[in-house]
Amino acid sequence: MSFQFSGEFIAFFILSVMAICGAVFMINATRVIHMALSLAFTFFSIAGIYLLLEAEFLAVIQILIYTGAVSILMLFGIMLTKHKEEEQPSISSWHSIISFCATGALFGLLIWVIYRSPLVSQAPQKAAATVGQLGGSVFKQYVIPFELTSVLLLVALVGAVILAKREGKK
Amino acid sequence: MNPWLVLGPVILLLIVLGFVTYAIFFERKVLGWIQGRIGPNRVGPWGLLQTVADVLKLLLKEDVTPKKADLALFKLAPALAFIPAFAILAVIPFTDTIQFADFAVGLLYYLALSSVTIIAILVGGWSSNNKYALLGGMRSAAQMISYEIPLVMSVVGIIMTVGSLNLNEIVEAQKEVWFIFPQAIGFVVFLIASISELNRTPFDLPEAESELVAGYHVEYSGFRFAFFMLTEYVYMFAMASLTTVLYLGGWNAPFGLTFIPPIVWFVLKFGFIVFFLIWLRGTFPRIRVDQLMQFAWKVLLPLALLNILVTALLKEVPFLGKFY
Repeated sequence: MSFQFSGEFIAFFILSVMAICGAVFMINATRVIHMALSLAFTFFSIAGIYLLLEAEFLAVIQILIYTGAVSILMLFGIMLTKHKEEEQPSISSWHSIISFCATGALFGLLIWVIYRSPLVSQAPQKAAATVGQLGGSVFKQYVIPFELTSVLLLVALVGAVILAKREGKK
Repeated sequence: MNPWLVLGPVILLLIVLGFVTYAIFFERKVLGWIQGRIGPNRVGPWGLLQTVADVLKLLLKEDVTPKKADLALFKLAPALAFIPAFAILAVIPFTDTIQFADFAVGLLYYLALSSVTIIAILVGGWSSNNKYALLGGMRSAAQMISYEIPLVMSVVGIIMTVGSLNLNEIVEAQKEVWFIFPQAIGFVVFLIASISELNRTPFDLPEAESELVAGYHVEYSGFRFAFFMLTEYVYMFAMASLTTVLYLGGWNAPFGLTFIPPIVWFVLKFGFIVFFLIWLRGTFPRIRVDQLMQFAWKVLLPLALLNILVTALLKEVPFLGKFY
């Protein structure tokens, strides 16, 4: 296997290091707000990787939804609760051994699936999907799953409103 | 390598800094005239160097950091706020030749990156370890998130008409009619939501001096404070450009006056929007917090949805269809 040091490779390298660093910081940080921010950083780096893969729409949506909306929601939740205390590391040794085994098993499973699935990217299709094509397939081919998801979200929304109202009455 | 690739952004940065310097000056002058005063007139001829002097003073100030602040985040926040503000300028087509990136989803790119600044404002407010800063940051974030939804919804009408998210194609589609006419409802919603996104009067609650001292940047001084102010005015630059591109036909000349170069038309329309923003600041009182959220969710959002519905319906009407 030979690597070509093209700009794309360098960009991919930097972005993946950024994403991994964000994830590691997220696990190692002691203050909750640092965790949320490093998570947002990881989301942002992943958007960069999507951009490298010429999935522009997906990249922008990743920033809009994950880096923007989801992270801000988490930050809000954290800031409105107590923020002085630092999280105490309360993991015993057997706990970390079990976690290590579970993660190793998951890693092995993923690698097994990746090596089994045939790689389709041998001949890359150059005509990248436009936003129009994406919209066409969502609203024509997959319209029923899409509508079902919308109904599910609506149900969740109504449920949240009812829960909030009940709390207000007390 | 193309030298413009490096030089272009540097020139843009200088232009933006120049704009910010004179937008602040112009704002103070216009506000002065509206209130029957003269405005700044001491530094330089006609007060022209007032902002330069102010910026110099800010740069020379002591850089104060609160003792109990979260140092890393406190220092990171101003930069985090400014970077997206400048990055979104990359997709704005100033004329058919002056543009940095002809991005297929330019409009979404603008809306997505500008939401990163909200994180910076929250972080700045929180890391100062000051209750006013925290409250200001929260208010700011809540307001910007709420108004982002009508903002995005109001441009859907344009996207449906053009059939593209590319800002160049959106301007090209306005050769005949500017979108301000067929998309009148969308324009009003967009304008109100964009003023709120900019945290400007009448939506300047995050900086309400009488209640919050100064909002999320109370604890910031000197250079870092200057960065937050810079971010605010760069967003003003970007939003005025975006409004021009989306609704006022970008660089297109009205009435066939094509002998005037496109960049002049762009600057004229852009300047009008900036003046409009300052004019609003001089005339409107600040809105109340409870009214603010109700207005976004109960008035602007339904109006934006109505605009989408009307656009979709009129697309099918025989005569009117060509405008939609």
